[in-house]
Amino acid sequence: MSEHDRKNPLTQTRREFLATTAAAAGAAAAASVPGAAVAAPKRGGTLRFATRVDGRGLDPHRNIIYYVSNPLAATTQGLLDLNTNMEIVPGIGEEWDISDDLMTYTFKIKKGVEFHNGRDVDAEAIKWNYERIMDPKTSHSFTRASLKEVKEITAVDKQTLRIQLKAPSGVFLANVVYYPCNLIAPDSADQADTHPIGCGPFKFVSWKRYAKTEMVRFENYFETDAAGNRLPYLDAIEGYPKKEDKVRLTALRTGEVDLIENMAYSDATNFKKTQMDKYNTWDIPQVGAGYLAVQAKKGPFAMSAADGKLMRQALAHAIDREAIHHAIFNGLSEKLTGFYSTSSPWHMPGIRNIKEFDPEKSKAILRKLNAMNTPIAVVARDTYSYMHQTGELVYSMLQEAGFKPTNEVFDNPVLRKKYKKADYGIDSTANSYRFEPDGWYSRNVLSSAPSTKLRTGYMNEQVDKLIVEARSTRDFKKRKELYTEVESLVNDDCALIYTHCIPLTSAATKNLKGYQPAFAGPFNINGGGVRTAYFA
Amino acid sequence: MLIYAINRILQAIPVVFILSVLVFGFVHALPGDVIDTLTSVETDEDPEVRAALEEEFGLNKPVYVQYFIWIGKALQGDFGKSLVTRRPVSIELMERIPATIYLAVVGIGLSILIAVPLGTLAAVRRNSATDYTAQVTSLAGISIPEFWFAILCVLLFALHLGWLPSSGYASPFEDPQKSIWYLILPALAVGFRQAAFTTRLTRSSMLDEISKEYVDTARSLGLSERKVIYKYTLRNALIPTITISGLQLANLLGGTVVLESIFAWPGIGLAIFQSIQLRDFPVIQAGVLVLGIMVVIINLLVDLLYRVLNPRVGLG
Repeated sequence: MSEHDRKNPLTQTRREFLATTAAAAGAAAAASVPGAAVAAPKRGGTLRFATRVDGRGLDPHRNIIYYVSNPLAATTQGLLDLNTNMEIVPGIGEEWDISDDLMTYTFKIKKGVEFHNGRDVDAEAIKWNYERIMDPKTSHSFTRASLKEVKEITAVDKQTLRIQLKAPSGVFLANVVYYPCNLIAPDSADQADTHPIGCGPFKFVSWKRYAKTEMVRFENYFETDAAGNRLPYLDAIEGYPKKEDKVRLTALRTGEVDLIENMAYSDATNFKKTQMDKYNTWDIPQVGAGYLAVQAKKGPFAMSAADGKLMRQALAHAIDREAIHHAIFNGLSEKLTGFYSTSSPWHMPGIRNIKEFDPEKSKAILRKLNAMNTPIAVVARDTYSYMHQTGELVYSMLQEAGFKPTNEVFDNPVLRKKYKKADYGIDSTANSYRFEPDGWYSRNVLSSAPSTKLRTGYMNEQVDKLIVEARSTRDFKKRKELYTEVESLVNDDCALIYTHCIPLTSAATKNLKGYQPAFAGPFNINGGGVRTAYFA
Repeated sequence: MLIYAINRILQAIPVVFILSVLVFGFVHALPGDVIDTLTSVETDEDPEVRAALEEEFGLNKPVYVQYFIWIGKALQGDFGKSLVTRRPVSIELMERIPATIYLAVVGIGLSILIAVPLGTLAAVRRNSATDYTAQVTSLAGISIPEFWFAILCVLLFALHLGWLPSSGYASPFEDPQKSIWYLILPALAVGFRQAAFTTRLTRSSMLDEISKEYVDTARSLGLSERKVIYKYTLRNALIPTITISGLQLANLLGGTVVLESIFAWPGIGLAIFQSIQLRDFPVIQAGVLVLGIMVVIINLLVDLLYRVLNPRVGLG
């Protein structure tokens, strides 16, 4: 799908949305007419799914359930849904209305939707969930932040939910999809940490941390296929967290699992060349974006320093994205100049002020400022190898450009301490799940955002103004223009240096049919993923 | 013997107490703030939320008070709740410790089954082909990194031959057959390396014993060579082997993080490692304490085994 074919659902009117959905449904129905060469999905079978990570806990309000790599994501659902293009589509909320002042969102709740314990998913249940998420005692801070704009929630009647916001927002719909605001049965709060009752396509059975997650089909799941058959088709899913990429791949090749996600970049190219007769693969072009967060609170890159901007420019010219692309991602990634790659509807080809790799220019700036051998601490988190591997490369690049870098890898708590003390120069990091750009810009670029204050200290009034304006703008094209300007200013300030997008490759045995993860990786999605997967 | 055992258990009490203090102290000295692991960098650091979390987990009290509360509850079998999953720590541990004990015991058992006969034969047939084979094999076992041997085993037996699963775990209580199936490769990887050490130790112990006067005396009295070797010599030679095997078992109970990763084996080593990364204090404290107690018990059993093997060993 080309960039121009995509239409941002947040800015679509309901009429436009229904028109495009009806057309898509018509096409799907046409494809499934008798006589068409499409095998009817067979019900049954257990999908054994090996993933890189496991959940931290079971309560979906208290834990972030990573929708790309956590089997538990199949047990939950939000008010609205996402499709394979990561567009927001009707789900439990089958219709919505946004007031002209962008302050009131009214949702029509689909009838006949149930939690796994048989309780109706109605307006009261959703209200209870959102109030629980807004309570600091019962929710994770990230999840809670999604609803921080909410002023009042009203269950108008059983099938109507009204949400009043504190300030105008054109992006609120993105906060009520199943990531991060999942729904659990109101009468099951006391068992949320041990046996959660969700409303997703699969019911929770058991969880042995880092070993196995068992789920079975929820027979009363509301979604159906084009022919009216209830989804999902699979009887059960077994999740097997296997942290090491090669261990997951070996498990797939030995037939111990049917589906894996996150194949190592070093394996993916060869696997596709040699194993395609036995397996299918799916390329997820962008789970997130890798970037270098420049600590500009104090030190040589400080916003307040007279030469801070020039020093950051020297830094930006030292970064060879091509080297990172090949050395870390085996050529599977895409070099970035903004947060979104060409695979995203939010890709912005008009971004300006890109600093090309030119170490001589870096040296010239450093010489001019009499700042050769300026010490720079390059840090990275230990969790994901591409972060600290990129950090190692950046270390070499900075050395070549005339800085005097150090390179250290830390676990999360130590890194947080360093953020607080501004005790680093550059953080090789990444960010994901931002299908709605406000989730990125408002949380990580806006100067008043906690993350910006904690990590980079970046501050540009014009950037702030544009981000706030974009948040209350409904027109997709206009918003994209605003974000293009934001990215151009960020590039000019060299506050965040985007390096590459984070791709992902999934693979499954040939007999797994109907499985299509979303383009950013989620597998519990409308019209795809584990809901439509079946074994031939 | 009983009095000796009781004495040893009583001696173990201060050891466990000191261990508990050290574990608690070290865990709380880890750099980084536990509350940071429970909150997102993208959200406000609300002091009220932080205070509520500290209150909930008792982190707002002085460390020594936290220790006495923790040890008091631990003595009643209550290790508290995981800060991360919020499930009881006992559940977190009980999901992992059986897998660790299972792998460690079978791995060590396998190593003894390989090492004792091989080491004995090598000593008895000194400078023969058997001896050279045993020495070369054991040298290879010591030299080859455990993780590399494990990967080779996976590639050969799982990927190429397809005989065994490459990774995973099944409880022996739930599905014994499947459980053994999953156990073979990890146990082989653990057992091979341990066997290498034990073979060399058994061989040298046997050579020491064979050269002693009582062996010549036994032979001169007309006892059969089999009886001399297997009834008298081996029994004495096994004492250092038992000591080392006990230490190896204790070491394995501490977890083999790399092997657990390679075989996706849900053991305690990886759990404690991951808990350290998340600063999940209650799980780390309880995990290390339980492992420490197991090491104390193993040492006690090893001491008692000395007596069984050689009644002349004093129980002072």
